[in-house]
Amino acid sequence: MLIGIDVGGTTTDAALIDGGQVVKTAIGPTDHQDILGCLLRALDKLTSGIDCRKIERVVLSTTLITNLIAEGKQDPVSLVLIPGPGTNPDDYHLPGQPIVLGGAIDYRGREIQSLDQSQVRAAAARIAGQGIKKAAIVGKFCQRNPAHELQAESAFRDAAPQVEVEVGHRVSGMLNFPRRAATTVLTLATRDQYREFAHAVVQAIRNRNIDAPIYILKADGGTLPLDRSEDRPVETIFSGPAASVMGVMALAPAGQTSVVVDIGGTTTDLALILSGQPLLSSKGARVDGMLTHIRAFAVKSLGLGGDSAVRVAKGHLTVGPDRQGPARALGGPLPTPTDALSVLGMAQVGDAALAMKAMQEVGSSLGCSALEASQKVVETSVEKIVREVEQMFLEWEQEPAYRIWEILQKERVRPQNVVGVGGASPALVPMVAERLKARSIVLKHAAVANAIGAAVARPTMTLSLHIDTERGVYSVAEDGSSGEVSGRNLNLQGAEDMARRLLMERARSLGIGEHADEAEVTNSEIFNMVRGWSTVGRLLDVRMEIPAGILPSWGGAGREN
Amino acid sequence: MRTEPIRDQASAEAAEQARTRDEPEASRRSSQSALVRPARSSQALKTGLIFFPAFDWAISPTHPEREERLLYTRDQIFEEGLMDLPQIEEYKPRLAELKDVARVHFCVPDVESKTTEAHLIAAGSTLVLADALMSNQIRNGFALVRPPGHHSMRVVHGNRGFCNINNEAIMVEYIRKKYGMRKIAIVDTDVHHGDGTQDIFWHDPDVLFISFHQDGRTLYPGSGFVHEMGGPAALGSTLNVPLPPGTTDEGIHFVLENLVLPILDDFGPDLVCNSAGQDNHYTDPLANMRFTAQGYARLNERLNPDMAVLEGGYAIESALPYVNTGIIQAMARLDYSHVREPDYVPGRFTQTGEMVRSIESTVNYLLNIWETKDDLISRAKEELGQFYRNRKRVFYDTDMISENQEETVRMCPDCQGYLMVGTQASQGHGRLNTALGVSIPLFACRSCQDDAREEYEEHKQDAKYDFVYLQDRPRDVYRSYHTRTRNERAY
Repeated sequence: MLIGIDVGGTTTDAALIDGGQVVKTAIGPTDHQDILGCLLRALDKLTSGIDCRKIERVVLSTTLITNLIAEGKQDPVSLVLIPGPGTNPDDYHLPGQPIVLGGAIDYRGREIQSLDQSQVRAAAARIAGQGIKKAAIVGKFCQRNPAHELQAESAFRDAAPQVEVEVGHRVSGMLNFPRRAATTVLTLATRDQYREFAHAVVQAIRNRNIDAPIYILKADGGTLPLDRSEDRPVETIFSGPAASVMGVMALAPAGQTSVVVDIGGTTTDLALILSGQPLLSSKGARVDGMLTHIRAFAVKSLGLGGDSAVRVAKGHLTVGPDRQGPARALGGPLPTPTDALSVLGMAQVGDAALAMKAMQEVGSSLGCSALEASQKVVETSVEKIVREVEQMFLEWEQEPAYRIWEILQKERVRPQNVVGVGGASPALVPMVAERLKARSIVLKHAAVANAIGAAVARPTMTLSLHIDTERGVYSVAEDGSSGEVSGRNLNLQGAEDMARRLLMERARSLGIGEHADEAEVTNSEIFNMVRGWSTVGRLLDVRMEIPAGILPSWGGAGREN
Repeated sequence: MRTEPIRDQASAEAAEQARTRDEPEASRRSSQSALVRPARSSQALKTGLIFFPAFDWAISPTHPEREERLLYTRDQIFEEGLMDLPQIEEYKPRLAELKDVARVHFCVPDVESKTTEAHLIAAGSTLVLADALMSNQIRNGFALVRPPGHHSMRVVHGNRGFCNINNEAIMVEYIRKKYGMRKIAIVDTDVHHGDGTQDIFWHDPDVLFISFHQDGRTLYPGSGFVHEMGGPAALGSTLNVPLPPGTTDEGIHFVLENLVLPILDDFGPDLVCNSAGQDNHYTDPLANMRFTAQGYARLNERLNPDMAVLEGGYAIESALPYVNTGIIQAMARLDYSHVREPDYVPGRFTQTGEMVRSIESTVNYLLNIWETKDDLISRAKEELGQFYRNRKRVFYDTDMISENQEETVRMCPDCQGYLMVGTQASQGHGRLNTALGVSIPLFACRSCQDDAREEYEEHKQDAKYDFVYLQDRPRDVYRSYHTRTRNERAY
């Protein structure tokens, strides 16, 4: 038996799955002050009368990190940069006022200017003096050579032992220094509180005699053992939208191209599944206004929902982007799409007479009947969604490409399905689908799709190996590990074998070793370094990935055909 | 600096006439709302950037123009996070159409056989940015692409100086055709003379081509001397500034401030392009100049080009990562003062007094040419009859092809005149194709258009040529006729 629990923004939904079937569900409101309580209430409802020994896995998705950041409750962190030559750090708009240290490493990982030790000590003293307990130290190209970050870390340990330090290359080794800095700050800022939460969750679940492994859903739709996620809590941000995409992955026809439309009260979240693979945001998620290296699905949030404000100005009808309260039918202040759906007989919500009155008002401003006004509200809403979906496909097509084959290969793709999740979906999704000339699917388990998605999601992981045979070194972007390689003529096959070996080790250390053989090589490149007329070495890059996917045990029973 | 906004009334009218007479409906529509200088007066604040390193294309494994060339530049600009900055918008390349190439080049025998996908993507990238610029999405654009193009001439039998097709020229003719722009300035800042671009616009008085480069007596392609200043009807619209080996930032900025900028100001172009080679750098392995990353950044800040297109530059580790970062920052009006090569110390390079004097005298000579160019043109035209004829030889170093050309230009009182170029090429002892190309400038007068079309039809019977081509820019049709098979095709 598998359990999935999604503590979402408004509701907490949970599902118990056995033999590829949803056997029990639970839905309750979310209390942001007591996420643990919400989670446990849902769990208890699912497990009452169940033999807990039969539970194989419990997967959570929570808004914990999202809330921490939205409410500004993250811990204060000082940022220390070692930028070397290039961009003026002031042009990055990083959090706080970063302290800048002298020292530089180049793109090959060669030291071009040594770290200024006296500056490091001064920085440590300054941070300690300000009473800040955490410092993120991030150097440009330190993923190619971590020496400066490690030296600074050790100097901090001596000069300010009370300050907890995290360094950039251990958080992410992907190219992009400002994103690495932001991700490192966010990691430090949320780690303690996340750890506390994770421990409480484990404690509470073990107290209920559930010994099954506990996982958390990441923003890229993959599961990770809860205890292993403590080092990198920001990866679990946006796990709600990820759960809903994974729900669609589990419930919609496999391998097809679908648009996921999650229409809530205030917003509509849109995501794309391209030939069975959810689209990731190209370089990483935007969190709290900062661009990061966090792998996340590309989810577009549109200011349009069942409760969006409907207004008429100068004969022009607008829907959203704001919400001023619930639908008029439920005593709200302004007409809403929900009222329009009620008038059209497509939804039964609250007081139908109030809804009718709201739409009559809209109609009189537009010079038409309440029925026509309702149709216009619905058409406008559908139009907004359709336009946004088309824009998403366009943006995906327009993503930069750096190789000939990428430019030649990318074809125009349009959705086969529009899959509705969330409250207002059954009414609007068929119309959106019709406009996009796609099949409309409204999931039968729509209300608990997120929980199902979490329950059956498999782990994900990536491994990006960079090898410089002239310097005789390799580095792994995901955890900053590095080491030596021998042989200037290492070929791509050799590099891929090495990547597979490293991936196996890393999967084991993440507690997902049994999935390591599902990894595929997604990119591998070799560049000969030619100096004069001879090859002096090679640069090799291999990227392996276990992409987002559904556990095989889910089978096809719950799927739409 | 140039003033703005510029609306060239005379050229606008000429363009309008050319269109209403000859263009099909669709292209007439597409070029309305043009004719206004777009970039610098617009509200668009971003710098458009296309990075296309062609990581899967090389001339040969150890050639300077190989996969590795922009690898370290990629690492640097990605690590800097430049593409994420609000001042910069990254665009995706596309393939140029064969027609876009045929608008500029006579590819012998055809465009397909002289281009690879990489060439079409590099050229296409400039067109993506041109469209973004003309639709006011961006303030300026930088096509950081390879393979380069500035050694490609009008006739293309093969690869010269690492170039097959001329990216800037393709962009310029595309912009003129699609948006009706007329006066364009190209400043070639590559260390090698931009002989291809010079050849293409040699007879065009509306394209100002200024190239500064290491003296041709000391470097490929061995041309680019002060006396090369354009065809008889376009004298002074080509200006060459040969510089002594070892010229520093100081020398190049002297040329910029005292020659290039004042002349640009006087010319008043609708668009300024930087043919942005990076091999003036002090570490470049193929040349001997002493320009720095700071020098390049400041050059682009002062020149303020609407478009920059990468050309050469082969110090792939010691220069390109830093120079490209600096150029991007300067174009995006970011602070570039933190860009510095690892081994650079300020004041490292100085010029001898002799070098300084030599540069000053070149600049003065060229300023004089610029001031007297109208006289030079009328005198040249007086001396010539109805046609100007010229023979020349072209050598393709990469492909080892020798070409003999004979060009004929009508000395028209009403326009720049149509052009015909006969070409015969050989590779070693093997004879390659012979061809005749007839080229009608976009803003050609009616009689030149008619005569040129007639020339093309007549020469289709001429057994002397394997191929006969017609570049009919006013109608935007590019014909090619194979005299033996009698097949005609149109791009």
